[in-house]
Amino acid sequence: MTSGIIYDPSYLMHEQSPTHPERRERLSYTLDQLEEEGIFDIPEIKLIRPKPARRDDVLLVHSLEYLKFLEESSINGGIIDADTYVPKNLIHDALLAAGGAICAADAVVNQQVKNAFVLSRPPGHHAGRSNGAGFCYLNNIAIMTRYLQRRGLRRIMIVDWDAHHGNGTEEIFYDDPTVLFCSVHQYPFYPGSGRIEDIGIREGKGYNINLPIPAGSSDKVYRYLLEELIIPLAEEYMPDLIAISAGQDNHFSDPLTGLALTAQGYARLMQEICIIADSICYGRIIAVLEGGYSVEGGLPYTNLGLIAAMAGMDISNIREPEGYQKLLLQSVSEDAFPKVVKMVADLKEKLTSHWYFLNRSY
Amino acid sequence: MFTGLDIGGTNTDIAIIDSEIKTHKIPNTSGLSTALKKAGSSGRLVVSTSQPLNEILTGPQFNIRTITIPGPGLVYSGAIKGAVSHRGDIIEPIDTEEVKSLFKGPHPYAVAISGKFSVRNNSLEEQVCDVVSEYLDPEQIAVSSHIGALNFPARIKTTQINARIKPKVNALNNLIREVNADFFYVTSTGGLTSPDRALQNPSLLYHSSPATVANGAYYLTRNENCLVLDIGGTTTELIPIAHGKPIFEDVIIDGFKTLIKSVKTVSIPYGGDSCIRETLCPFRAGNARSFGGGEPTLTDALNVSGARIGDDDRSHVIDKKIADNIVEQYLITVSSAVKKFKPGIIIGTGYLAHYLLSEISERAKTTGIVPEHAGSANAVGAAVSRISILGYFHVDTEKKRMTMNGKEYPYYATSDDEELLAHAKNIIRDVARADGAPEEDVEDVMIQFFSSYEVVRGWKVAAKITDILLSIAPGISVEAA
Repeated sequence: MTSGIIYDPSYLMHEQSPTHPERRERLSYTLDQLEEEGIFDIPEIKLIRPKPARRDDVLLVHSLEYLKFLEESSINGGIIDADTYVPKNLIHDALLAAGGAICAADAVVNQQVKNAFVLSRPPGHHAGRSNGAGFCYLNNIAIMTRYLQRRGLRRIMIVDWDAHHGNGTEEIFYDDPTVLFCSVHQYPFYPGSGRIEDIGIREGKGYNINLPIPAGSSDKVYRYLLEELIIPLAEEYMPDLIAISAGQDNHFSDPLTGLALTAQGYARLMQEICIIADSICYGRIIAVLEGGYSVEGGLPYTNLGLIAAMAGMDISNIREPEGYQKLLLQSVSEDAFPKVVKMVADLKEKLTSHWYFLNRSY
Repeated sequence: MFTGLDIGGTNTDIAIIDSEIKTHKIPNTSGLSTALKKAGSSGRLVVSTSQPLNEILTGPQFNIRTITIPGPGLVYSGAIKGAVSHRGDIIEPIDTEEVKSLFKGPHPYAVAISGKFSVRNNSLEEQVCDVVSEYLDPEQIAVSSHIGALNFPARIKTTQINARIKPKVNALNNLIREVNADFFYVTSTGGLTSPDRALQNPSLLYHSSPATVANGAYYLTRNENCLVLDIGGTTTELIPIAHGKPIFEDVIIDGFKTLIKSVKTVSIPYGGDSCIRETLCPFRAGNARSFGGGEPTLTDALNVSGARIGDDDRSHVIDKKIADNIVEQYLITVSSAVKKFKPGIIIGTGYLAHYLLSEISERAKTTGIVPEHAGSANAVGAAVSRISILGYFHVDTEKKRMTMNGKEYPYYATSDDEELLAHAKNIIRDVARADGAPEEDVEDVMIQFFSSYEVVRGWKVAAKITDILLSIAPGISVEAA
């Protein structure tokens, strides 16, 4: 079955200010790479045009006051925080981004595609119930999750691998056991949240899992987290769909973050998640683009690698060119791995009463 | 003086346009040199031929070696080391020893070299080409950057085709140059290209006939919206024309998308030479009897039904009733295909158009026109077409680099889109002029695609990247009009 790519040239239109790092350039380069690789001629890939989300869909997640604030600020412009402005007409772009995620949900649920990648802007995972932040306005993945539940799916697992903690998504589902939120992020780093202690409240306790990792974490760290926690969690939770907040700012060439994942590491991560999704939820995966600002370096072929992995294509040539090897060596820290091993041990202790696999003696 | 020469399946048509139009038809059996001599050596000569391309469909298989420089991304066969980034930077050099090692065994017939993003920087392709030149002649090596469009897999396929037919195009160039040094080819989109450009990207010559006929029909009738019905020896082609131009589509070869554009046609496998074996057959088995063949054909059936084409006495080997049925079968097939287009007007071309078009247009309930010289509309179209060029520009203000189809051109410092566009247009005009296009034909440069964005680093604009696709569109040369 095919993989969907949800994209529209309108996703290039959103601009906070002429020099803001969350900008069209991020997608332009990726599209150049996809076009050059002939991705849209491949029968395994289906290009899907998004439709804007409806207010009803947005209100499944966000408060009416906040939505009204965005609508009103979109007339003359406004400010949310130091890095996040509301440019004129923002609401159209924000609704189209959330709508892209909803189109992906429909395409997967209706079995038009097996999985999908939403190449949308602006991103969403810092946006909470009633506030925007960190370049985000509407929480696209949260809106999609609620939409999927309205369409009959019960449990959704969200893997947020953006380098920044998905604090908005965490807030929205913090007390909800029907959504397993699992975030891997650089720590300490923006937005400051994402400690291992924050495991959810009330019925949602144990269903919010933070995996904070230090700068310099490489492919080895991500692989370890996948094997030690993410895959066992998925196997025990048995979600109906795995949603991925796909921020490609962990790539070692990203200028805004300090992580050291390679394009090959990303593609393998996706490949592993596809394998687990095949075994537990009919392969249903929807990746929604979040951050990723390494526009001049690895972003284009990293995004390509993710799409190739989702479409079941050969990813052996998703690699770093010779010219980047020096930067990669500088970015990787040998100290990161032991710290992560300790963090995982601490976290497992906090989660033992919530997950059976942590109590297995074999 | 404009001379057009169309090498078809059976005959070569020649049209010489001066104060009046003169046309000739020469059977291919007399050889291309005879036709070239007949066309003469004065004025501009334009040749329309699909012969080199037919080689890939009907000729023998040759060993074509594919060398790809994919860098990071999907898996491609024939990959060697080296990478050009999406911005046109070299982020991994090639290894010349690796390239040399490919030629240790028996040498291939030709080599196709394709680098990812080579249309933004062709230097790695050129470096590989230099190494390969130590082992093979230039006409045996094709590089992909001249194709001038993103889509690496399609560029690889197109370059393989180019490598396969480049030696043929080179031989054809030399043969025609002996008679007339000032000549052009018609491309698959109906524009003209210089022999040198055709050698760089031989796939330009793919199936130029429909485009040539469309240009000829337009020139002879000036109908901007119509359906051209070209009745040839082996097939009947339906070519819709809208706003004076045919419709283009991507060509697929062996199931692979190429970067060749061709005129959209509906092809019916019957023509004047289709042979009659109880019924009308969708193939040719020699000439019509009235042109010296052995088996009766559709042309002979027309003669039996009352026409006088060629030596019509030789046609009377079939019954009049059978002949009428055969003609009826043809008319039904063609007119029902015509009806699907709901054309306001149909223009008949090809040597049988005079005999068949009125019946077809009546059955399709539309108006039919058969212009004078309809029999050689293809050659007329070739004669009057103009030079056409497609240029893919990539401009980077930080690297101070401007490339067209991967080749570097003098950089022009500006952040103004309009100024940059004007500069790019001048470059493509210069290239067309250097190829021999008259001033009036290069005035109109079409913008097929324009996209620009700023590169931001540390909250500052560090560069501006612009991609432009410009074309001097195919059409009728102002000089001929």
